[in-house]
Amino acid sequence: MDEYAIETEGLTKVFRSRWSKRELKAVDDISIRVPRGTTFGLLGPNGAGKTTFVKMLLSCTHPTSGRAKVFGRDSQEPEARRPIGYLPENHRFPTYMTGWGMLEFYGALSGMDSASRRRRIPELLNLVGLDERAHHLRLGKYSKGMLQRVGLAQALIHSPRLLVLDEPSDGVDPVGRKHIRDVLNGLEREGVTIFLNSHLLAEVELFCREVVIIQKGKMALSGTVASLTSGSGYKVEALGVPESLETELRSRARSFRSVEGTLELLFASREEANWAVDRLRASHCELESLARTRSTLEDVFMKTVDGPISGVTAQ
Amino acid sequence: MNGQTFNATAAIIRDTFREAFARKIFWGFFGCCTALLLFLMFIMRVDVVAGALATVSIFGNSLPSTNVQNLVQQTQSVIAGVLYYAGMALAVFASAGLVSAVFEPGRIELLLSKPVSRTHLLLGRFAGNVLVVSANILYLVIGSWIIFGVKTGVWGAGFLLSSLCTIFIFSVLLAVIVLIGVLLDSSAVAIMVTFALMIITPILAQKATLERLLSSEWSRDVLRVLYYVLPKIWEVRGIVQNLILNKPVESWMPVWSTAIFGAVVLAIGIWRFQRRSY
Ligand SMILES: Nc1ncnc2c1ncn2[C@@H]1O[C@H](COP(=O)(O)OP(=O)(O)OP(=O)(O)O)[C@@H](O)[C@H]1O
Ligand SMILES: [Mg+2]
Repeated sequence: MDEYAIETEGLTKVFRSRWSKRELKAVDDISIRVPRGTTFGLLGPNGAGKTTFVKMLLSCTHPTSGRAKVFGRDSQEPEARRPIGYLPENHRFPTYMTGWGMLEFYGALSGMDSASRRRRIPELLNLVGLDERAHHLRLGKYSKGMLQRVGLAQALIHSPRLLVLDEPSDGVDPVGRKHIRDVLNGLEREGVTIFLNSHLLAEVELFCREVVIIQKGKMALSGTVASLTSGSGYKVEALGVPESLETELRSRARSFRSVEGTLELLFASREEANWAVDRLRASHCELESLARTRSTLEDVFMKTVDGPISGVTAQ
Repeated sequence: MNGQTFNATAAIIRDTFREAFARKIFWGFFGCCTALLLFLMFIMRVDVVAGALATVSIFGNSLPSTNVQNLVQQTQSVIAGVLYYAGMALAVFASAGLVSAVFEPGRIELLLSKPVSRTHLLLGRFAGNVLVVSANILYLVIGSWIIFGVKTGVWGAGFLLSSLCTIFIFSVLLAVIVLIGVLLDSSAVAIMVTFALMIITPILAQKATLERLLSSEWSRDVLRVLYYVLPKIWEVRGIVQNLILNKPVESWMPVWSTAIFGAVVLAIGIWRFQRRSY
């Protein structure tokens, strides 16, 4: 058993236009490891190379150099794709298929026999919230959100161990998004690895454990969501803190800084911040300020993508 | 081929049929074939009187005939010839869209993401398409064979064999359509090239005459290369007619060289498909 669901090594894709000599490095030397059972977000501005990266995982696009492995298997082998469920971006499902027929077809391509297809199809259509009417309606008559849902059902039909979703909530209303998130949360609990491409940072922050931010094909930042957004919390500034108290406070704080006699402490929760205030006031220290700080994934994203100079500072 | 691959390939073939139905390709074909059969049934009146002596009336003109078998075979040969070209043109028109549909962005990604090799995807689609066309050609040929048989009592197997030749040539042309679909994503170009082949090869078939017309040796070489490389649609049609008329077939070279052409084109198509990024 391989411990990584996805492992890439120096994955690179260069697009060359047919006539002119111009080259575009859509994905530039990306090496990542996605442990099994993780929820992983790939972020980046438009055109950063997210879709290209995902297509290389599925061997839809051939890498110019580098390698990708899925559960330890080279992604070029058809067998490597068996445990993957994929929802592409900008999909155009054949309009002549019904919702049912589509799951039937893609289920068969994924290697399911007809008995298990018959059992899974109604289950999944209901899971993604498509009603009886939709089961036998042609996809040409589906609304955008319905297409997204049936697309998700299609990705789940063969109970994949790895789910690769490219903008899954594209065109879905807020209620639908919540629904999709619930479905994904359920899968996460079952141990399915989920790889998500998304622009919706708030959603990624809620859902993903690890993220990578790429820009112009290059990896700009990676880490767990918790560590990247660790700037968020409560900042307490106090003057004249005795050393013993400072040590005690520092042990509970997430970070601290001492500047010209002012102690800056950052606490993760309100309770801790209040506890610190109580302790400080009990020792008759002066409070300089008490503020809620936020560093959302969006802040991190903006800082990374805009570059360090024009970065938006956390408020 | 293991069970899963078999399931997947069968699904691709079923899907090709479903798409042919949905795009009304199948029914369009089927309608044309039925119309042709009805035409045969009502226009051609054959009265067989006392065995060999008969009056066959086609288009209202009575033709006294001493040899029904001969006449029926000649009619069959004409029909097979018409079917061969007209049917093939229709089939090419219909199939070009059916092949390029799978290469559409937004659709191909999902197909490629399944645990099915690209070779199987392409061959499955190819086989499905050939089967869609075959179903119609067999319907037309077997239908007219029965009509002829019932009306005249002549049951030659040659006419049935001709359907196989038509299907064979169609598969070769479909290989060309597939290759162009893979290379250029264009059904329009695929139709143009296939039609060009259908027009050029009968001309090349007059190799002996053309050779006399050409002045330089190198142009004669080019002609010979073209002749031997390209599919021999015209000559295969001649073989079909010989089969119907129970005449001996002089050379099977046109058939096997055409088969080689088809196989090579299809192999190049598969190779390019495997190399391509979508
Ligand atoms: N087949 C192709 N040929 C040439 N260039 C391509 C091709 N596919 C993608 N690109 C280019 O590669 C770059 C990355 O595209 P990609 O679709 O991966 O971006 P993305 O991060 O998914 O963007 P978005 O957020 O808008 O979906 C873009 O500049 C795009 O123009
Ligand atoms: Mg994208």
